[in-house]
Amino acid sequence: MILYITTIVVLLLLAPLLLSFIKSLKMWLLFKRPTSIFQGYRNFSKLLSKETIVSEETSAITTYAPFLVLSPLLVTMFFLPPVVQGAFYVSFVDAFTITGLISLSTFFLMLLGLDSASAFGGMGSSREAFISALVEPAMVLTVFSVSMMAGDLGVGQAGVNLAAHFPKEHMASFLFAGISFFILLLAENGRIPVDNPETHLELTMVHEAMILDLTGVYLAIIETASSVKFVIFASLFVSLFLPFGYTYAAPLAIFVFIAKLFGVAMVVAILEVNTAKLRLFKVPNLLGIAIVFAFLSLITFYVLGA
Amino acid sequence: MVDFFIGLFLASLITALFTTRLYRLLNWYAFNSLTLGILALLIGTKLDDNAMLITGVVTIIIKAIGIPYFLKSFSQKFHFVRQIQPEIKVQYAIMLIPAILVFTFYLAEPITHMIANNSNYVAISISSLFLSLLLMMEHKNIAPKIVGFLSMENSLFLLGITATDGMPMLVELGIFFDLLMAIVVINLLFNREHEEELNND
Amino acid sequence: MIELLLLPALIIFGLSFVKSKKVHKLLAFASFLILLPTIALFELPKPYHLLGDYLVADTLNVYILFVSSIVGIGVALALLTLNKHVRVSRKAYRRFYRFFAIFWIGLIFSILSNNMGIYWIGLELATLSTVYMIKTNHSNAAHKEAWNYMIVGAIAISLILFGIILIYASAKPILGEDAMNFNLLLAHAKEIKSPFLFEIGFAIVSVGMFVKMGFFPMNLWLANIERASFYPVAALFSGILESAVIVGFFRFSKIAMEVNYDHLFTFVFIYAILTIFIVAFLIFRTKDFMRLFSLSGVEHMALIALFWVSGGTFAALLHFGAHAFLKPALFLSTGVLESQGKYKIAGALRGYTGKKGTLFWFLVSLFLLAVISLPPSPMFFSELYGFGAMIDTAKSSHHLLAMLGAIFLLLVLLSIIFYKFIDVYQSMKYEGKEYQKKVYASELIALMIFALGLVGLMLPSTLTYLKGI
Repeated sequence: MILYITTIVVLLLLAPLLLSFIKSLKMWLLFKRPTSIFQGYRNFSKLLSKETIVSEETSAITTYAPFLVLSPLLVTMFFLPPVVQGAFYVSFVDAFTITGLISLSTFFLMLLGLDSASAFGGMGSSREAFISALVEPAMVLTVFSVSMMAGDLGVGQAGVNLAAHFPKEHMASFLFAGISFFILLLAENGRIPVDNPETHLELTMVHEAMILDLTGVYLAIIETASSVKFVIFASLFVSLFLPFGYTYAAPLAIFVFIAKLFGVAMVVAILEVNTAKLRLFKVPNLLGIAIVFAFLSLITFYVLGA
Repeated sequence: MVDFFIGLFLASLITALFTTRLYRLLNWYAFNSLTLGILALLIGTKLDDNAMLITGVVTIIIKAIGIPYFLKSFSQKFHFVRQIQPEIKVQYAIMLIPAILVFTFYLAEPITHMIANNSNYVAISISSLFLSLLLMMEHKNIAPKIVGFLSMENSLFLLGITATDGMPMLVELGIFFDLLMAIVVINLLFNREHEEELNND
Repeated sequence: MIELLLLPALIIFGLSFVKSKKVHKLLAFASFLILLPTIALFELPKPYHLLGDYLVADTLNVYILFVSSIVGIGVALALLTLNKHVRVSRKAYRRFYRFFAIFWIGLIFSILSNNMGIYWIGLELATLSTVYMIKTNHSNAAHKEAWNYMIVGAIAISLILFGIILIYASAKPILGEDAMNFNLLLAHAKEIKSPFLFEIGFAIVSVGMFVKMGFFPMNLWLANIERASFYPVAALFSGILESAVIVGFFRFSKIAMEVNYDHLFTFVFIYAILTIFIVAFLIFRTKDFMRLFSLSGVEHMALIALFWVSGGTFAALLHFGAHAFLKPALFLSTGVLESQGKYKIAGALRGYTGKKGTLFWFLVSLFLLAVISLPPSPMFFSELYGFGAMIDTAKSSHHLLAMLGAIFLLLVLLSIIFYKFIDVYQSMKYEGKEYQKKVYASELIALMIFALGLVGLMLPSTLTYLKGI
């Protein structure tokens, strides 16, 4: 139980660090002077001390929604596969629950955007709805198919099973699921081919458009939520698709896990530097690939057993 | 490990179906051929078959490096249209491609029972054959059609490697020869300087 | 021996690089050299191994090689005056010769091969070289059709390879690497452990071949291509390329007969009747020579396939020979009739005066009437024998009535084609305006060769040879 709590706390603490790491790595790759990798914490503390202003046009939703955006994600943190062998984990939560919790959070984010009563908020919400409508089926299919390969529908149990017995005989469908999940990771977290987290340009914004009106504590909460979301996706990816290093002793296993998380962050950063953001109406192409691969993974597993 | 590369082979083909840029399509084709070559090398070492090792090396040299390079230079020489929009819309492609895959997987099922080893790969190579046909059909431009034809060749090659544990060396080299001939003919077909020729006579 | 066979094609290939204008005559004479080895092959004991087990000459392919060599000679002769009838640049002209040579080499390999792989390689080589020959015509239509041929031909040929791989996979457990060998496959056909796999492979191979010959779903593509390209291409298609395809079909279906005769027969029967059904109406609607002859070629190929699987080997081969001589002859004369782009059926045969002209229109009328199987033509006899063979097969089963019905349907369809050809002939001879037209000696010689070939088919010794296959 202690390990369980510790890992969750460590992951939560790590969350802002990962996003700042991506940012500074990108700057370094572009030959700019990188920001500190602790910038995330600094922003957080600065936002906490700032005054919180709520627009007069908004309803009560704006005051509740930030918490409702963060809380499903925090709940999801408790359902992730374990990091260390022997740690406590929740075994029965399946693909639908996890996807549902994440989309609940997205739902409140969209409400928040609509409630701000600015043109940008509505635009951002509609775009977000468009993207997440494409993401969710693929997400369910992918996680489901990996769970099938692991022999258990529960995501936590699946992570344990995969670590104990890597599905060498199902390498092809495993690969398809991996590709699909990585695309989803990019899309759900608003990384570059889908959305650019750094600009405030009305043509390209998705995530930023929805939170344009927020200030102070609320903004801090939403920023935290988005970093937690990245950690959730990255650790799901790591424990489902790179399930090694699980059997080591506790401190080493956690260290390996964190190293893998940074590895994922590094790949994301390199991808972001090398690709241009897609036009919004090209996004379905990318997500279509994700859906096709998710489905392909499932049928390859079922029909061919490969 | 073989499973992994088979997966990559099919994955690169599917990604090529969604590509809207010519150069990226060529890159995916090159990647596709590279995985094919590595597959030939892997299966060849497993079977201890020297002929297949040679085939693998030749595949990598000709298909993964040579042909994409030539096609790229043709596209610069003859000014191809490099924006290649598929005729089939993405939303339909998302439904069509899985449908093709399910169809071919079940189509190949009776066949897979009859082939002793690597039976799954036969199903995958047949479905990649259909996908390359789709690649040929969904484009109006000639360049992606050529890539579709070449990837059809690739999937047939995969079938040859997996279903039969490699065809006789002579036949495989002959197929390579024909492929090179195809490239020469394609080059000639793009040449359109005839009007000058006629006037010179 | 193999060197001698390839020599004429190699000479043509080499001479095509020479820029002198006089070299063309030499090319025509070089093509005659092919007669030496082909006649020698007739005399040699069969099966004669040309190149190990890969190229083997037996009674069947020697006959087909001989027929296609004569077509090759005829086309090479007719090529001499290509520039008199159509606009063609010198460079393109030379390239045409070059690719003609490659085409010929590919098909010699294909026809003589005793190995599925080599058969396919030769066919692919020929297909690819045809693409350029189509493109020698500089019109936009020809350019488009060349691409069309490249793509559709590539799909057809890939289907054939696909089927070959499946057949190879089905026979590899018993034969090992020799499973590519036609003769061995035939000898061990009954032992194949997974006949279903073989049959799927065979079905795919034959669909590929049928597409290449313009059968059911792809009836018009060959016609369009032959319309867009120069007339010798059409002659080469019908005379040489189709003979290579059909020899492959003969060999594959012989093995399939051993594996499961009923499936093979039903498959080819339905496919061929469907093809002839559609082609008959397409012919009825055509308005120009090329499409007319091209579609009638499809009809003849369907009949040949049908006769062959019904067990009428003799009928199929006789029909094949007649088709291979008549069609190139008609395509070459089309080139003369449509000289300088005059595409009118009405009065096409009028205006040929003098000795050459009279001979020309006489020969063309002869060919036109022979192609619709009027009695002295070999086609008449082959169809009689073929329908006889079909009835013979049906006698042993319970489907005699259905077979008679099918033959009746075929006869109705053939009579539609017959009617159309007679109509075309009358319009050529008795309608339209009359003005002076010209024929060249080389074309007449080519047509004479084809006419002699036809007569040669009817010689008793040829008939006994064909019956012995």
